[in-house]
Amino acid sequence: MGSQSDRPLPPEPVEPDGPRVGVDEWVASADRLQDRPAGVAGALRRAGEVVTPPIQLAIFAGLAATVPFWLGTGDLFTYGIFVLLYVLLGLGLNTIVGFAGLLDLGYVAFFGFGAYMYAILSSDHYGIHWPAIVTVPLVVVTTASLGLLLGIPSRRLLGDYLAIVTLFFGQAFVVFVNATNPVVAGKGLTGGPNGIADIDPLSFFGLEATTRTQQYYVLLVSAVLILTGLHFVNQSRTGRALRSLREDPLAAGAIGIPVNRLKLMAFAIGAGIAGFTGCIFGTLLTAVTAGNFDIPILITIYAVVILGGFGSLSGVVLGALVITVSFQFLAPENPQNNARVLFYLLIVLVIVLLLRSWWRVALVLAATVALGVAVQAAVEAVAPSWAGGPVVEGGRLGDLIDSWVLIPEGHQDFGNVAYVALVVAVLAVTQLRPSRRIFALPAVAYLAAVVWETSFVLQPAVARWILFGALLVVLMNVRPQGLLGTPRVEIV
Amino acid sequence: MQRRGHRPRTYAALGALLTALLALAAVIGATATRSAAAPAAADSTAIACGNRVSIGFAAPVTGPAGPLGQQMARWGKFAETRWNRAHKLDIRLVQGDTQLPDTAQAVRVAETLASNQSVLAVVGPAGSQEVEVSTAPFRRGGVANISGTATATSLTVSGKRRGYFFRTVPNDDQQSARAAAFIRRNLRASRIVVIDAQNSYSTGLADGVQRLLRAAGASVQRESVNEATITDFSSLIARIPNDTQIVYTPWQLAAKAQQFGEQLRASGRNATLFGGDGLYSPDDLKLPGTHVTAFPVALGNRTIRAYQRGPGGGSSDLFGLPSYVAVDVAARAVEKACANGQATRAEVRRFIARTNIPKAQSLLGFPIRFQQTVKRPLGPGDMRTPAQYIVYRINANGQFVKVG
Amino acid sequence: MQLPLFSVLDTVRELGWSGAVELFRNGLALGSLYALIALGYTMVYGILKLLNFAHGDVYMVGAFIGFGVLNAFGGSPSPSIAILPLIVLMFVVAMLGSGVLGVVIERFAYRPLRSSPRLTLLITALGVSFFLQNSMLLLFGAQFRSYQSFQLGSDNPAAFEPGPLVEPVFTIADVNFQRIQLAVFATSIALMVALTLLVAKTTLGKAMRATAFDHEAAAMMGIDVNRVIAATFFIGSVLAGAAGVMFGLMFSQINHFMGFYAGLKGFTAAVVGGIGSIPGAMLGGLLVGLVESYAQGYLGGQWSDIAVFGILIFVLLVRPTGLLGARAIQKV
Repeated sequence: MGSQSDRPLPPEPVEPDGPRVGVDEWVASADRLQDRPAGVAGALRRAGEVVTPPIQLAIFAGLAATVPFWLGTGDLFTYGIFVLLYVLLGLGLNTIVGFAGLLDLGYVAFFGFGAYMYAILSSDHYGIHWPAIVTVPLVVVTTASLGLLLGIPSRRLLGDYLAIVTLFFGQAFVVFVNATNPVVAGKGLTGGPNGIADIDPLSFFGLEATTRTQQYYVLLVSAVLILTGLHFVNQSRTGRALRSLREDPLAAGAIGIPVNRLKLMAFAIGAGIAGFTGCIFGTLLTAVTAGNFDIPILITIYAVVILGGFGSLSGVVLGALVITVSFQFLAPENPQNNARVLFYLLIVLVIVLLLRSWWRVALVLAATVALGVAVQAAVEAVAPSWAGGPVVEGGRLGDLIDSWVLIPEGHQDFGNVAYVALVVAVLAVTQLRPSRRIFALPAVAYLAAVVWETSFVLQPAVARWILFGALLVVLMNVRPQGLLGTPRVEIV
Repeated sequence: MQRRGHRPRTYAALGALLTALLALAAVIGATATRSAAAPAAADSTAIACGNRVSIGFAAPVTGPAGPLGQQMARWGKFAETRWNRAHKLDIRLVQGDTQLPDTAQAVRVAETLASNQSVLAVVGPAGSQEVEVSTAPFRRGGVANISGTATATSLTVSGKRRGYFFRTVPNDDQQSARAAAFIRRNLRASRIVVIDAQNSYSTGLADGVQRLLRAAGASVQRESVNEATITDFSSLIARIPNDTQIVYTPWQLAAKAQQFGEQLRASGRNATLFGGDGLYSPDDLKLPGTHVTAFPVALGNRTIRAYQRGPGGGSSDLFGLPSYVAVDVAARAVEKACANGQATRAEVRRFIARTNIPKAQSLLGFPIRFQQTVKRPLGPGDMRTPAQYIVYRINANGQFVKVG
Repeated sequence: MQLPLFSVLDTVRELGWSGAVELFRNGLALGSLYALIALGYTMVYGILKLLNFAHGDVYMVGAFIGFGVLNAFGGSPSPSIAILPLIVLMFVVAMLGSGVLGVVIERFAYRPLRSSPRLTLLITALGVSFFLQNSMLLLFGAQFRSYQSFQLGSDNPAAFEPGPLVEPVFTIADVNFQRIQLAVFATSIALMVALTLLVAKTTLGKAMRATAFDHEAAAMMGIDVNRVIAATFFIGSVLAGAAGVMFGLMFSQINHFMGFYAGLKGFTAAVVGGIGSIPGAMLGGLLVGLVESYAQGYLGGQWSDIAVFGILIFVLLVRPTGLLGARAIQKV
């Protein structure tokens, strides 16, 4: 035995391509097999591993704290306060739908309930002016209890049935505050269609939050606190239990997770957050009506969570930013050039995403411009009235576009026809093989520009919704988990 | 293993928290003094008028109130085009989509328009609740707003918006008084059913008419229906007694009122419909015998006909007409303020308050001057008498004929 | 504006038998519409487990197509051809148009996502719904269009004389049963019977039932699943288109937003009746229509919606899978 241990071991046979004895190939090549997307996405993912959530939060809080210094009041309200409102609401919805997997279509009623309750307790309506330090916790607790109440049917109702019961609840709330408005203590409880006005501003220990900047900071601190809290919940046993509940309720129940209790808890937390946001919302507007808590708001909150990715906290923040900023960019208040630039950039982005090679993208763009110039010249020669229309709100960019895009003068229906043609063309292009697609792209891109200039630019608010709908469809086809969510596979 | 890993994370999170709190404390202290200075500055900042000035235009162009908001937008645009054609100083409407009934958007639009330094006055917003929430932002920005459709009496009578809020449409109390008087004295009705449409405009009118008619001794039954969501009124109609003489429907959607009236007839009830100015829409409402209260617009008027041929596409969109007048009022005031090449918002406010448009130039059928004090049912910002509603009746040919 | 309980009983007594019959008639007419829409929801759900939010907008497009046909022949109230053939033509064109639209939506929006989680499909459906609604808004504007069904085909429209659609056919307890209401009810029943026969007796129906039970097994049996799903969407959308035209003929006023609430009610009816079950959709539709009608009639506009929601929630709590829904057996 001793003599065997003295002898040096033979060198390892070098067989790079064959299996090695005593080595688990799969484990050994783990690094190579790991999904490492190249380029921008890979870099982002690696960055995400380094920048942990607390650091993300610190960066977000720090940056957000500086916003009032470089935005005017109007923009602060639109881009700052609105974003934070949707962050808060998105966090609450994320708890119910993203963490626990319960489809709640009446979420916005919790928001409204919180706002109305705060309004009743701190306004001129009944002359009760309780201080915020008393009202806000009371409202949060009551709304959370309401959430518990709504969660009780969730024991018996699954999936779509729960969705419809929660939808009823949401609609019932709106009808109740708008039309039913029962008379309590001599006055309509909820103020009917006029709602409740003259709501007291938030005041903590003598400091009142009356200016937009102060209200912004209140929202920011709340968002940071709630993000921190939810992060801890996520990391804890409860968070893991919620995630397993979302993935497969039956299996979760089978391994001993208290499914019903968790569902109730999710509802309560989500409702509590919504109630809290409702209080602040009332003070922002100084008046609340039923229309603030109806389906369009619900859709926006869902869009925030969908875009950001269900179950992802930073996704909610990102989703709120993207949704609010893009909606505003396309709003009629901004000069049309904003929206125009964004639209053309969108076309370019779509081409880039479809073709994935820079020289091809350049080729297509050049072809589009060439096609446009050619068409414009041809039409001008043959029937000038079809090319002579003015560009709406042009400026310098407009002059450039005028010479390139076909804008008929006085042919009102052209915009409509072009729009229908564009929809048909886009649908047709999705059916072409990728190798053939490149030939059709310049024509479709040019058609999109024409549709923008002749139809969308005249009704930007409607165009905004059309693009939003198309975006949802495309998003679900291309990246259903949203920007920062994790892909899910449903086993049916 | 996990507990050890938690601590750095905990510290990092707490650190972030502390940063945020410190930032909050510091900035609240800093902004407390700064914000006080801002309104005065916005109010009296002089801007150079140049060739073109901006006027804000807040209307619910999309959303459930879209049809109404688009009417207002078309009339507003029409006013802009006509003004620019006839005057050297051009106006430019800066549009804001208030998406009624979500008043948060109205606040957003108000804040944006108020922050937009080049905007000297604002036309809108449309709904009374929207005016309610826009008051603070506009006040802080020092900018006047003239609404063509916000009719809640309390907006002016409370006196809280004196000098800032004006409207080119008579208020709910004026309208309900006229309707109640006509129903009682001219139509001599004693059995009336009042149906509100579960929105701010109709509830105000319905409450007023109900109160006045009951005080005059008539029997009034009150009903309610959501005109936006319901098209089948047959069950509501079942509640209306067969011997009802008048059904008062101060709704906004004339198409729904037409539908309601047809179903009423089809059910065998012969009650007459009586509506508010929201129903003054010859394109949608054609039921003979229907009465409406409206301001004395002459439908043959050249401007209205030009609108019909142009942006109206055949319709007269009378709901948006007062918005045209509001743009006109704003433009005139801005022109006067710009007489010396510069204008401030405070100046424009003062000129609006002193508006004096003679009857011949006013599309509303009466001269336009604004009330400065509270004198029920008028308040500061309402149009002074003889701003008044008259009563129209639809004749057998579907035309609106003045009857009172 | 309070409504104490005993005043409800007063109202019931005041309205009496004729009131009850009138409300019943209204509920049946409205309920038939809801049932047709619910059928589309339930068929698609049965096969794909997808709640097609865009279904209400297909119904809206059907109503607009019918309006277009009406206008192509001179428009209400005096079209250039006789009323009955015109109405039949409106139905046929609208049904075909809606059917094609439904197939197109399935092909381009839902087929690529066939194996995705249900929430993804739901969101896509929502996106399609926005897209359709606002496309109509862009193309046709926001104002209401009217079928003018009250005067359609009337001999003297200028004098506002009622046309043949609203003419009473018979009277029970002083309540007129209008021709259009009976026609709507009868047509709905006929369509539902046709659908039931299709599903029960034909090969296509068998294929649909097989696919609804298990996609993969059906595919292995040689059923072209894509074709079956397309056919399902086609049939569901055809029914929605028919409902759209019926809505126009009964209630006249259409606009781009009408699909939203109708879709909601239809969806409710499908769920209450038991989603995935065809007789359940019919029953649910009629139930929702009747509940709405009686609540509106006896309680008035302030409490009726809440009462409707309350009753439907109660039904769902008592029978969590809907009235005729199958007890969901969860496979592990």
